[in-house]
Amino acid sequence: MRVFANLLSFASRSLLMLGGIGLAVMTLIIGWQVFARYVLNASPSWSEQASLVLMIWFVSFAAAAGVKEGFHIRISAFADSLPGRWPNRLQLVSHLIVALVGAAMAFWGGELIMRTWEHTIPTLGISRGFAYLPLPISGVLIALFALENFLEQLNPAIAGDAES
Amino acid sequence: GQADRPLYSADAHVADYPTVQGVEAMARMVEERTGGRQRVKIFAGAQLGSERDTLELTVFGALDLNRVNLAPLNSIANETIVPSLPFLFSSIDHMRASLDGAPGQTILDALRPHGLVGLCFYDSGARSFYNTRHPINEPDDIRGMKIRVQNSDLYVGMVEALGANPTPMALGEVYQGLVQGVIDGAENNWPSYESARHFEAAQYYSLTRHVMAPEILVMSKHRWDRLSGEDQAIFQQAARDSVPVMRELWDARVADSRERVLASGVEANEIGDIAAFSNLMEGVWDRFVVTDVQRRLVEDIRNLGGAA
Amino acid sequence: MELSVLLGVLVFLLIIGVPVAFSLLGATLVTFFMMDMPAIAVFQRMAGGMSIFSLMAIPFFVFAGELMHRSGIAERLVRVAEAAFGRSRGGLGQVDVGASMLFGAVSGSAIASVSAMGSTLMPMMRERGYDADYAVNVTSTSAVCGLLIPPSHNMIIYAAAAGVGVSIGELFVGGIVPGILTGATLMVAAWLVAVKRGYPKGEFPGWMAFLRAFIMALPGLFTAIIIVGGVLGGLFTATESSAVAVLYTVAVAALLYRSMGPRAFLDAAIQAVKTTAMVLLIIGSASGFGWMLALLEAPTQLANLITTVTDNPILILLIINLILLVLGTFMDMSPLIVITTPIFLPIVVGLGMDPVQFGVIMMLNLGIGLVTPPVGSVLFVGAAIGKVKVEETVKTIWPFYGALFVALMVVTYVPSVTMGLVNLMR
Ligand code: NA
Ligand code: NA
Repeated sequence: MRVFANLLSFASRSLLMLGGIGLAVMTLIIGWQVFARYVLNASPSWSEQASLVLMIWFVSFAAAAGVKEGFHIRISAFADSLPGRWPNRLQLVSHLIVALVGAAMAFWGGELIMRTWEHTIPTLGISRGFAYLPLPISGVLIALFALENFLEQLNPAIAGDAES
Repeated sequence: GQADRPLYSADAHVADYPTVQGVEAMARMVEERTGGRQRVKIFAGAQLGSERDTLELTVFGALDLNRVNLAPLNSIANETIVPSLPFLFSSIDHMRASLDGAPGQTILDALRPHGLVGLCFYDSGARSFYNTRHPINEPDDIRGMKIRVQNSDLYVGMVEALGANPTPMALGEVYQGLVQGVIDGAENNWPSYESARHFEAAQYYSLTRHVMAPEILVMSKHRWDRLSGEDQAIFQQAARDSVPVMRELWDARVADSRERVLASGVEANEIGDIAAFSNLMEGVWDRFVVTDVQRRLVEDIRNLGGAA
Repeated sequence: MELSVLLGVLVFLLIIGVPVAFSLLGATLVTFFMMDMPAIAVFQRMAGGMSIFSLMAIPFFVFAGELMHRSGIAERLVRVAEAAFGRSRGGLGQVDVGASMLFGAVSGSAIASVSAMGSTLMPMMRERGYDADYAVNVTSTSAVCGLLIPPSHNMIIYAAAAGVGVSIGELFVGGIVPGILTGATLMVAAWLVAVKRGYPKGEFPGWMAFLRAFIMALPGLFTAIIIVGGVLGGLFTATESSAVAVLYTVAVAALLYRSMGPRAFLDAAIQAVKTTAMVLLIIGSASGFGWMLALLEAPTQLANLITTVTDNPILILLIINLILLVLGTFMDMSPLIVITTPIFLPIVVGLGMDPVQFGVIMMLNLGIGLVTPPVGSVLFVGAAIGKVKVEETVKTIWPFYGALFVALMVVTYVPSVTMGLVNLMR
């Protein structure tokens, strides 16, 4: 259990790190696009598509980490106003639903890649599947992170053990 | 279930555009000829997504019919590149004859392995360059200009071959780009030049007629396979029958747009020596015509009246 | 039936506290299963909705804002703003509205405006004792002005959807006065709330101190000049300007102030990525949800109601506005413009309204939809940058909604507000 938890928090930090690097690279690409168009009078034809693909990658990765870190926007006012153990129960349901959606993203994201693998992205010359590749990766991680949240909520002692 | 709901059809053009009205004509014929068994619901104005996005959705079977330009199909089936080749057709009539004939059928059939059933071609007229600076009469006039192109290798290569600076840009950013000078020009047919309002920003329209790539109507193979043989035949025939309806609307629209745009003060000019442009395209052709099927298509099309 | 499932599941998931993005995805998936449609399309729409070039303004401007904050550029800007506007109560609120109007005017994008202004102004306001929810409310709602003040790419979409005879030039001119009017009503709201909450009222530090602060802040102020000048001068597009802002900020922070190492740089990037992911995941999920709404023809059905209800012109205009407001809470602007323009435009033209005026009404109305939950991308960006829960900020946003609504009613029922300048031009 502890190994599992450590692995997941390592995964989450790595996803954010990769996302940050992705954004830095995207900045350079668009900077280059402006520079090349004006100074060299030759627009790079690949820059727009490349940065769009990069954006799907880093948003998907950071969105997965967001499940682990709990930073996604949600409306908790109603659940919090309920008496007794209800807020806790609804929180458990919520974690399960996020896990299900993550699993769906993993499954159909995978199909999306297979169905578009032979399409190419114009001006980049790579498979369209690369644009969709982060979806199943993030989907799996979202499901795992949400399950971990679920278990943590179910039995805080396990989580406490994992953190120590 | 899927079988008893209407067929969903996507179009990136707005509701009163001839392509949408062409599909509407087809839909009416289908409904009449199947006694209301088959119905088509059209979603115009890109409300279900861009052409590339809806094309994928059509392959998956989430949409049933889709009217798109050939460009987004270029990266799916390379036979579709042929009618998009610069200076291939000598006239609109030559283009129509080729697409109504055997070459057109070859291209429609080429889509099946990719999950799409090609039903018919619609017109998209001839594309020409427009810009904010001065009329283009010879290749030297366009040299160094920043020209917006679609997200397509063929268009990038073509504009590059003319000595201009191809700038891929989303259609929605073009108007502002022209006004502010991020780009100097773009290229399109009369109706799109008008309906996207680019004529307000770029006043010089030079009739290079460099590309006459058609529009195409496709059905999802997923849905096609679930139709009875009888209904398949009805759809196929209705699509064919809608082509002359669409072309009549198209010709009227071209004349109308042309008049409207010229009335606003746009300066349009014919090109004296078009060969000066087409001669620069050899490298583009070599790069994009690579398979035997494509070579045969080019030859067949030229035999149908190509002067080039 | 499908429509009630789509909306019902969404509301249920939102209420039990499932994150907004996952509620939208869940509701869309359930509806897809019910209709026997391939669920693969939901995630294709999600990816498609996220990968739109103009959305890049979000990560870039937030990144630039984080860099300014961490490098001390923002702090220097605060001192100037404080010196200039500190005397009036809630002065920074007015600065925020004014700056967002100007920025929105240049960029033509409410998202870009709230990303840029939120990242620079919100930390400023918080440091000077303004509540976070106030900062978010002011910045988000005033970003809507940018949709009216030219340029505005949504007006171009409207012109195309309206068909022949609507000129973008006239739409742009028509939006100027309504845009300024909307800014003015928001400034009043910002001032009233500031007075009620007793926000600080400073002393003018004297011209020498002001001049010193101004000079210290020059490199930061120059960011604005580069962006505005670069876009107006055709050097780069509004979206590209956001990346240029990042590169410029890095250069100033690293070379001039020497205030940032590589670690701080990466931290800023990670923070920007988090904020972006929060918002873009919702925008992407909402894109699939909106796709389903369009497919089920929800906007068309709702819009067709109108002709059956009344033939009183004043009521018709009110109902059209209410329908657009309701649709705007669930769907994004551009598909709604495309779908509802052909339905509503003939009705209002029949009532004698000019298509230019209706275009401006539509921009303002659907702009309000960008700051209303459950799908309000501009408000979400604001809340994410301000680090406030959306539900917290919505509790106190009512005066600002009120201001927007007053502006909407004036623009709807007083044609000359829009048409005055346009008629001068004709
Ligand atoms: Na604007
Ligand atoms: Na909304």
